[in-house]
Amino acid sequence: MAKNSIDWSPGNWPKLLYQFFTSFKLATTVLFLMLLVTLFGTLDQVDNGLHKAKEIYFHSWFINETMGSLPVILPGGMLLMLILFVNMTLGAIVKVRKRWRGAGLLISHFGMLLLLAGGFITNQFATDDYIALYPGMSSSKVESYREWQLEVMPLSKDGQAEKAWLYPSDVLDTVRPDEQRTIQTEALPFDVVINGYSKNAMPIPTSAPMAASVTGKEIDGFKLSPQKPSTEAEQNLPGAYVEFRPKNGADPIEGILWAGSYYFDPREKPMPFTFEVGDQLYGALLAKKSRPLPFEVRLDEFIFERHPGVTTPRNYESRITRIEEGQPDKPVEIKMNEPMRYEGYTFFQESFGPAGSNPGDDMYSQFAVAKNPADQWPLWALVINGIGLGIHFIIMLVSYSSRARKKRSATEATS
Amino acid sequence: MKHCLLTHLTLLGLLGLTTNASARELPKVELQNYEPWEEATVHAFENILVQEGGRVKPIYTTSRFTLMQFSGKTTAKFETKDGEQHSLHHAEWMLDVLFRGEIAKQLPVFIVDDSEAVVQIGVSPKSRRDRYSYSELVAGRAKLAELSAQYSKKQKQFQENDKDEQYELGRIETMILTLGQNISSFEFLLGQFGFARKGEILVNGEILSPEFKEMAKTLDPVEMLTKMPEMTLDQLFQTVRQPVGDSEDERMFSDALRLFFFHANSGRGLDLFPPQEDANEDWKSSGDVMLEALEKKEVREWGTEQLGKIQAITNAQGESEEAFRNALQSFSDQQHQTAEDRGQGVRSEMEISLYRGQWFWRALYCFVIGFVVLAFSWFSPGTRFSKIMILLASLLALAGLVLDIYGITLRSIIRQRPPITNLYDTVIFITATAVLLGLIIEWFTRIGIGTLVAVVAGFAGMFLSVKYEAKEATDTITQLMAVLDTNFWLATHVTIINIGYAAGLVAAIFGVIYLAGRFICLLTGHQNKDLFKSLTRMNYGVICFCLFFSLVGTVLGGIWANYSWGRFWGWDPKENGALMICLWTLVILHGRMGGMLKDLGINMCSVILAGIVTFSWWGVNNLGVGLHSYGFTEGIWGALFSSWSILGIFLLMGVIIWFVERAKKADKKRAKSNKEAAASA
Repeated sequence: MAKNSIDWSPGNWPKLLYQFFTSFKLATTVLFLMLLVTLFGTLDQVDNGLHKAKEIYFHSWFINETMGSLPVILPGGMLLMLILFVNMTLGAIVKVRKRWRGAGLLISHFGMLLLLAGGFITNQFATDDYIALYPGMSSSKVESYREWQLEVMPLSKDGQAEKAWLYPSDVLDTVRPDEQRTIQTEALPFDVVINGYSKNAMPIPTSAPMAASVTGKEIDGFKLSPQKPSTEAEQNLPGAYVEFRPKNGADPIEGILWAGSYYFDPREKPMPFTFEVGDQLYGALLAKKSRPLPFEVRLDEFIFERHPGVTTPRNYESRITRIEEGQPDKPVEIKMNEPMRYEGYTFFQESFGPAGSNPGDDMYSQFAVAKNPADQWPLWALVINGIGLGIHFIIMLVSYSSRARKKRSATEATS
Repeated sequence: MKHCLLTHLTLLGLLGLTTNASARELPKVELQNYEPWEEATVHAFENILVQEGGRVKPIYTTSRFTLMQFSGKTTAKFETKDGEQHSLHHAEWMLDVLFRGEIAKQLPVFIVDDSEAVVQIGVSPKSRRDRYSYSELVAGRAKLAELSAQYSKKQKQFQENDKDEQYELGRIETMILTLGQNISSFEFLLGQFGFARKGEILVNGEILSPEFKEMAKTLDPVEMLTKMPEMTLDQLFQTVRQPVGDSEDERMFSDALRLFFFHANSGRGLDLFPPQEDANEDWKSSGDVMLEALEKKEVREWGTEQLGKIQAITNAQGESEEAFRNALQSFSDQQHQTAEDRGQGVRSEMEISLYRGQWFWRALYCFVIGFVVLAFSWFSPGTRFSKIMILLASLLALAGLVLDIYGITLRSIIRQRPPITNLYDTVIFITATAVLLGLIIEWFTRIGIGTLVAVVAGFAGMFLSVKYEAKEATDTITQLMAVLDTNFWLATHVTIINIGYAAGLVAAIFGVIYLAGRFICLLTGHQNKDLFKSLTRMNYGVICFCLFFSLVGTVLGGIWANYSWGRFWGWDPKENGALMICLWTLVILHGRMGGMLKDLGINMCSVILAGIVTFSWWGVNNLGVGLHSYGFTEGIWGALFSSWSILGIFLLMGVIIWFVERAKKADKKRAKSNKEAAASA
């Protein structure tokens, strides 16, 4: 009996903790829980879409949700992966007996650790944006798929803006539909008041029958109707009631800002809500968050082909020129499965538009632009892992078949 | 005894199937008799090329899947009034449709699973599930068109409104929609060569006035092309729409034009003509050629030449079957020559041999017979007879494997791609891998278990491939989307991950054999610890194999995704499915190493592994979300839940075994402590 009793004295805690974190039981439990989280996170995508399911199940520390009428209370993906990382490091690398027979497993666990570490770095530091261009157009900035920010800018008489004041997407996202938030800034001669922000909304003319059921305030013949967030987070078009309160005590100006006023086609121009404070014209709009590139990209040609007689795309590729100060212009071809990697950025041929275009039409090309410091880690992890598992299973197979052969010859000798 | 029973049941089942098939009454048709086509004529016809689904293929393939779509089968069976029974091959049926339309209209090829569907369109029902001819359904044609349009709209709304249940089609509605689409496709096929058959209006004749029908008997649309003035299509359409003038010439011209458009419209859908320009890859139907030649004067010579080829065939049909055959052969030869010059349709003969060979059906027979032969080995385990039976069953499994691999190889050569490019390919590939794994295990162990795994996996896989093909009823040699257009990743990631699936399923078969065996032993009181120990050892090896391939395949998939979509991992359902297989195999291996799982636990977990593999393989495709949209499928939840329920039965056996063992251990422990207590007393 004494053999099985556990010493719970504080002095023994480090040992107990070490035993706990290096145990097979913990590894098995965490792997099983990860399986459950993966299953629920997959099924949840049907109702909530990929982005939301990712946030709830895989990028979280704890999960407290209901799926249909089933309560799902589980540790989140982040927590499980952290525990697995610790367990693998201590159990499979530090504690494990180092012998030739286990060399394969040791190597493969290194590979898994690298894979998990790569996943963590990607989650924390990678950016994922896009750029869309018609042939002849060039740009040196990329835009976010999902992050929207509030931009207020002084406009010249011909409607041009040189600089803009930004209210960043991560704080704008925290404004609830029923919340009033006042933002005071020295950069502008007025305070900006957000009277509710919806992550997906639709302006409705008050003359429309459905406007009667919308509770929001009417401004310039429109009401902002909050919509159910789309399962495809990129499809959401946020909207906000805003008020600009001049600091000189003049009457406030109210307006509705809606992401639909931003452009969808690269040739379109954003249409900001305009107002005057003093003699200065200002514009305000909800715009996609953008990031500058250290080089410029010009689309020279976009090639789109379908399989004959059907709508299935066979090939789409873009011929671009990379323009960088102090460097000669570099022509590059980007196509499916053949991205352009340069200065930490990777350009992928993602899609094309406008929707419904056919070969030969005037079309734009869209690139996904990723920046990920751990971009190639999975490849290295795979190589390490494959080598490790390969060595291990060959050792196991050789030992099994030699055992089976011995057993068979023993049986034959006996008979 | 149990083996004997099993064998008898299998044989009876097979015999029963045959008896049922031969005893079934064939549908009777209104035809007095049926004159079959000569074999040589069918052969001349079946190699005619058609462009469909983005590739050029023999009409043999088109007819096979068209009849399968209409009828659920690749043959049309019926009985004529003279009491003779007929079974038409799909190519013969297509010949009738294109060249003997009046006969084709009488053939019962439209399957209706519930007679309620025909009642709703105002047609008298036959039995609850039956096949109808076009002539039988034509009375409800107008109602069918109306309901089909209505349900088609509803289906579109369902897709556009995030699968809102209020727009979901009911069972009968789906049947009516499918029937409507099939009837419409059939009408297009019937009307294909209407322009070449003076006066023979096979479908939609009711929309033409008697004068039109009279005119159709004399008007030659091909000749008309040569005499037409130069006008744009818009101008010609305008002419048709305008009120007819007073003069006889104007009226004649307008009517002739209307008739021309009628034939051109009926002649759409079967793209038989390689285009004139080399750069253009889109083949054209008779209707396309008629309209293009009408619009562009420079195309007329080429257009009339092409249409003239069809006229030559229909004219020859009126002479004799030999003349008709020669005309078909000549058309086919010209087509092949042009296609070859363009680098298209060069493997049509091979494609015909793929379908004619029925390699997967033959493999299925091998596996079934292999199973029966193997069952005989259970009569006297360990004897020479038993060893011979195992060897014979292994050879049959090997023959099945060779046939399966031969079919896969033909498919790969035809499309010039690695073995797996779509869901159907995964079925035949996974079957081959599972059978191979079973046979390799048999090679090492020589106790018949590996062969059992091979024949069971082979039978299940081949049966699934046949069922899946019949359910989809579309060409399974498909063109690839741009993202999949890479032989490197198809050959590596896709192949490896499917080997992982196969291993997972083989592990599950081992688990099922273990649990069923243990359960039977529990009931009969027999013991065979050595056999179950070696079963678990084999299973453990297969689980390790599954982990290796699933893990490498999953990470390779991530690397491919990183090349195509810009991220290694996106928690997409297909990716998650693969991850779940890796996680579950890791749970089994770590659980075993940590002492949490013993033999029974490992085998029960391997049965669960099958559930996870099928979820990953089929289930996630049915969710309809994610980037792997090219693999989406619908309507298979029922089959999946059935398979999971069957797995559940075996798990239940495991649970019962566990409880009984636990009770036995407790008894032993109690007896031991009683003994010790008695001894100490």
